[in-house]
Amino acid sequence: MEKILSKHFFNPEARRLSFYLQNDGYEAARKALTCMSPQEIIEEVMKSNLRGLGGAGFPTGRKWSFIPKDSPEPRYLVVNCDESEPGTFKDRHIIEWTPHTLLEGVMIASFAIGAHQCFVYARGEYVRYANILQTALEEAYRAGFFGKNIFGTGFDLDVMIHLGAGAYICGEESALLESLEGKKGWPRLKPPFPAVSGLFGRPTIINNTETISYVPVIIRNGGEWFSRLGSLKSGGMRLYSVSGHIRKPGVYELPLGTSLREIIYTYAEGMRNGRKLKAVIPGGSSTPVLTAQEIDVKMDFESLAAIGSMLGSAGVIVMDESACLVKALAVLGKFYQHESCGQCTPCREGTGWMTRILHRILTGRGVKGDLENLVRVANNIQGNTICALGDGAAMPMISFVTKFREEFESHIFHKRCTAVR
Amino acid sequence: MLQVTINHHPCAFENGISILDALRMLSIHIPTLCHDPRLQPYGGCRLCLVRVKGWPGPVTACNTLLSDGMEIETHSSEIERHRRTLLRLFAQRYPAAPARQFPDKEFHDDLRAYDLMDELRGAPDRSLVDDSHPYIRVDMSRCVHCYRCVRICNEVQGQFVWQVWNRGDSTRIRPHSQTTLMESSCVSCGACVDSCPTGALEDRSLLEHLASMSWTKTTCPYCGTGCEMIVGAHQGRIVSIRPALHSPVSKGHLCVKGRYAFDYHYAHDRITTPMIRQDGQWKRVSWEQAISFTAENLRRFVANYGPDSVAVLGSARATNEENYLAQKFARVALGTNNVDCCARVCHAPTAVAMKLMLGTGASTNSFDDIERARTLLVCGANPTENHPIVGARIKQAALQRGAHLIVIDPRRIELAEYADYHLPLRPGTNVPLLNAMAYTIVEEQLYDAAFLQERVSEWEEFRNFIQSWVPEQVAGACRVSADLIRRAARLYATAKPAMSIHGLGMTEHTQGTESVMCLVNLALLTGNLGKAGTGVNPLRGQNNVQGSAHMGCEPNHLTGFVALEQGKNLFESAWHAPLPAKKGLNVMEMMDAAEKGELKALWAIGYDLFLTNANSSKTKRALQSLDFVIVQDMFLNETAREFGSVFLPVASPFEKEGTFMNAERRIQRVRKVTQPLGQTWSDWEIICTMASAMGKGSFFNYHSPEEIWDEIRSVWKAGSGISYRRMEQAGLQWPCPSGEHPGTEILHSDTFPIGKRAALRRIEFNPTAETTSQEFPFLLITGRTLYHFNAGTMTGRTNNTLLGAADRLDIAPQDAQRLGLRNGQRVRIRSRWGEAILSAQLSPAIAPGELFATFQAPQVFLNHVTSPYRDAYAATPEYKVTAVAIEAV
Ligand SMILES: Cc1cc2nc3c(=O)[nH]c(=O)nc-3n(C[C@H](O)[C@H](O)[C@H](O)COP(=O)(O)O)c2cc1C
Ligand code: SF4
Ligand code: SF4
Ligand code: FES
Repeated sequence: MEKILSKHFFNPEARRLSFYLQNDGYEAARKALTCMSPQEIIEEVMKSNLRGLGGAGFPTGRKWSFIPKDSPEPRYLVVNCDESEPGTFKDRHIIEWTPHTLLEGVMIASFAIGAHQCFVYARGEYVRYANILQTALEEAYRAGFFGKNIFGTGFDLDVMIHLGAGAYICGEESALLESLEGKKGWPRLKPPFPAVSGLFGRPTIINNTETISYVPVIIRNGGEWFSRLGSLKSGGMRLYSVSGHIRKPGVYELPLGTSLREIIYTYAEGMRNGRKLKAVIPGGSSTPVLTAQEIDVKMDFESLAAIGSMLGSAGVIVMDESACLVKALAVLGKFYQHESCGQCTPCREGTGWMTRILHRILTGRGVKGDLENLVRVANNIQGNTICALGDGAAMPMISFVTKFREEFESHIFHKRCTAVR
Repeated sequence: MLQVTINHHPCAFENGISILDALRMLSIHIPTLCHDPRLQPYGGCRLCLVRVKGWPGPVTACNTLLSDGMEIETHSSEIERHRRTLLRLFAQRYPAAPARQFPDKEFHDDLRAYDLMDELRGAPDRSLVDDSHPYIRVDMSRCVHCYRCVRICNEVQGQFVWQVWNRGDSTRIRPHSQTTLMESSCVSCGACVDSCPTGALEDRSLLEHLASMSWTKTTCPYCGTGCEMIVGAHQGRIVSIRPALHSPVSKGHLCVKGRYAFDYHYAHDRITTPMIRQDGQWKRVSWEQAISFTAENLRRFVANYGPDSVAVLGSARATNEENYLAQKFARVALGTNNVDCCARVCHAPTAVAMKLMLGTGASTNSFDDIERARTLLVCGANPTENHPIVGARIKQAALQRGAHLIVIDPRRIELAEYADYHLPLRPGTNVPLLNAMAYTIVEEQLYDAAFLQERVSEWEEFRNFIQSWVPEQVAGACRVSADLIRRAARLYATAKPAMSIHGLGMTEHTQGTESVMCLVNLALLTGNLGKAGTGVNPLRGQNNVQGSAHMGCEPNHLTGFVALEQGKNLFESAWHAPLPAKKGLNVMEMMDAAEKGELKALWAIGYDLFLTNANSSKTKRALQSLDFVIVQDMFLNETAREFGSVFLPVASPFEKEGTFMNAERRIQRVRKVTQPLGQTWSDWEIICTMASAMGKGSFFNYHSPEEIWDEIRSVWKAGSGISYRRMEQAGLQWPCPSGEHPGTEILHSDTFPIGKRAALRRIEFNPTAETTSQEFPFLLITGRTLYHFNAGTMTGRTNNTLLGAADRLDIAPQDAQRLGLRNGQRVRIRSRWGEAILSAQLSPAIAPGELFATFQAPQVFLNHVTSPYRDAYAATPEYKVTAVAIEAV
């Protein structure tokens, strides 16, 4: 299958504007701005079945259509490049190796929603990649692709790159907006949704870096072409970040609906050191874990939902039999405790409590009832918080403990790990 | 109306309320932690979850709007379990001791209700205690992270003191300074304390008096904003004050003075027995002795020198009822119109100007108009310090709502930071500046032609007159660029509705009345009158200064601000007594008359005129010439100390019943919280007893303030609808001419009391004679500060002294450097009239060549320095402009 975004990964030449232009760069944008109306672009994106690749999987064309039309109010495009979900490292590859693809997508998306200002919000640790993106942006400005009167159409667009300061929560769209406004990154109550009241109270579209980066090819080859690349309902390709106990970790660009087994055994070349597969987190640390028996699932939104998990950000974390799952979960718990913004009770208090229980079990001080308590607190968090971080913290708890209950019980009973020799 | 069912019962509600509002209306209690009706819905604590049929998960009631057809369940076992688990999460980190010690706290209630008192596992943590503040104790080991403190400080006070540090369960609330509350920018309004559901933030006074308390709602005894408060007493002693949540004026907010500065009640030097001065020494006497001695003397002066040899001063600190009695006493018991009050030295020019031009000498609009205005013009007022609740509302309007703000003030006051335009005019140039604004409005045709046609007269004459007031020509004298004057005028005239709010910086000048007239001109030109969000609105200084003059403590006016001649018949028949025909003396004229030996005796009720009148050497000569001075006060004030013959100790506003009238014409109840201390009496009791000792008891036969009030209603039509019964709920604004009338928020909607039209006034500029010279190179402005109230009589006897100095002289850093003055250095200021010593404070808010001093420390006696010049119409002294020299001592 032909690669789209990853075609030129690892080729340092590819990030240059000259290289990009030789490969039909900015032609999709030219087409969009000169031959298409915003409405036509949005329809094309709808046809493509492109869904948000940041985690929630919301249909992108639909989201764009929520932006108020025929209103003089300024609106913004925000590109989410915070990429803090453990196990996810695809956006970084995009801005490192093919920054102009993202910028071209930005141009098309901005035109479609009528934005004249776009912000790219990158996590603070990505300073190196953000610099690459900045260099690309400056090149594009010099070539007249940004700024005033783009392609002589009268359309103006400016792009600003902003670096975060190291908080996972700032990847959550409304916390990201707060942070961009210069405030503490605390999620907002929704509704209103950003498309109605976003950055500085103005209509705002927030999309993941990868989502926006697929827009140029959709405009170039058509929405239908893109939608046929994958399984029927969620069309297209996406980048899978694969990590853990496999031979060949990395980013793989594959159609939606590729089976997890294929990803692990064909593309990532199977388990390391001949060990046995034990568990897989399919879509970034927040998504429910799968057992080795479940890896025939197709990696698309519906198939994973059908078995109680999620595609999320497609960050596949593979664990073999050498992994103590109590420890793995304790590490995750610690992450969410540390990253909870502290605004709402269940998440602020609950993540700490769950982590303390896990730590107890891990250090051999677990007691009967700990697992029930863990699941009860997790259930209390899930669905009851302001933002989805709480859900993200709760889902691994519930799924690990339910699917690997014996291992947890044994840990409590023997006061040490018995699963790993 | 919305039709919904709540716990299977169908009910109907109006649109636009939250689920929680609906539950509260039905008295269905669900626990809430982050909710406070004063704040935007927040949805953080998640305790208020309810089930709504058809919704995927539980819903937070506090921030979810009620919608038609909702089927709500509030106490299903699932939801209850859920709440308990949440509360249990808190319990893990919450200490047990306070939960038992303070059972009344909102959060402790919930812990008990969900049976979690035995699961409190938190430990007290000294490192989370901040003991720096004299009024507020901070103990963050009791913080449950509802963020109400943070939000109320932002959303209500606009001070942004509390900030959230760290994340997740390491989250801590600390002041922005990262140090102590005392070192932060906290203005001690106590809003956070009032909102905190656990007592992590608590009033120190409350911690010291754990026992149960009785709470009484009353009106604040400090400034003319008229905030309502609930006062907590324990064993007859006031120990805590909290804001009244549903007050129409203060809406659940107070400032540091109202909230915390009440300890003066129990100051060691409060006088609680009557005293007579004999051979230069004060001697304690009984009330009988004091009254008969006084009455005898008064009778003697009236008999020997005629009734006009005696004068009475009512008090802006006393109730309407008491001021009514004071003037009735002067007119009926003594037979003189020599009655005035301290409105003379503050907003008398406002009353005169507005009465003359519009027909009513009071605010045209209401404080609620601050939220309705698109533009706010603040002139000569520093509301965030002197009327902090109004100041906070203006700040919120500018900050959160994006209202335009224009500040006209020589100093860069706090509001100037949030203003579109700050016009830092030279003191004493209000008239040319406002005229130049009028010029701009006329020249650029920004006036409201329809309004001019329908409601305004003398337009042609004014148009001709104003031609000569070109901004470019006054810019130099005013020290404000013509461009800025023009921009301000344009904004006021075009971003409508525009509301003007003014203070003593307008009135305390030789052109005080004229300055206010200029302001009224602007409103007339632009049609900013008689509508929501408009008007001309004085910020009155003292709690009842509007009321004292309005009740008739005014030489030329009777109750209701009716001119003497006009009211003669009505009052004579109501009082069954003849009225003195001779024009009376105002305070300033009383001083002149005393100096000339024409005035012999003075009864000063709650008014320390020696300390507070401008140009003390003159006041001193006058008071020295008097034969008999009666001082009625809570403290032996400077007037009493130097000149008093009799001292009559009074009950405080917390020790009596009555009413106050605030700056927006609202009459509100004052209620007795505790018994009068010692042998103090209420002013009204003293006046009635004095009258009967003088043989006039039949005219003063009252048994309660309500009886007096009912008599006032019978002589004052505009207040006749305002009964004590109606005021039980909330105060009412006059005019309110009948028992069904809702009161009047906005005056002059259709006509003026003087007719359909009001005339524009052509105001020439007569600069003050007080000018700088080589010897006196600085212009001194006198004024007030946040932590102190007027002459400091009350606040000076509280811990407010720890929060801010009362003897401060602000000087521009450039000037200080030039003169080699350091921060805190003692300096002498000297004028043509006298001198005083204060502490220099370097302040970038003050312009070079100018100084600002507070008059709030009796020991400083700043009025030794101020001049004898007075406003041409109202005789108000020119406190705001004195030429001085400054030197280190
Ligand atoms: C705690 C949390 C962290 C998130 N972090 C990211 C992130 O790093 N990058 C991202 O694109 N979306 C992240 N999201 C999802 C965003 O809120 C949002 O759904 C997404 O940016 C929308 O873009 P899309 O529709 O293109 O996916 C996060 C969500 C949550 C709740
Ligand atoms: S769920 Fe957690 S991260 Fe999200 S708002 Fe609540 S406390 Fe903050
Ligand atoms: S100090 Fe009080 S008001 Fe502030 S967050 Fe903590 S519990 Fe809430
Ligand atoms: S009261 Fe509703 S979430 Fe706190």
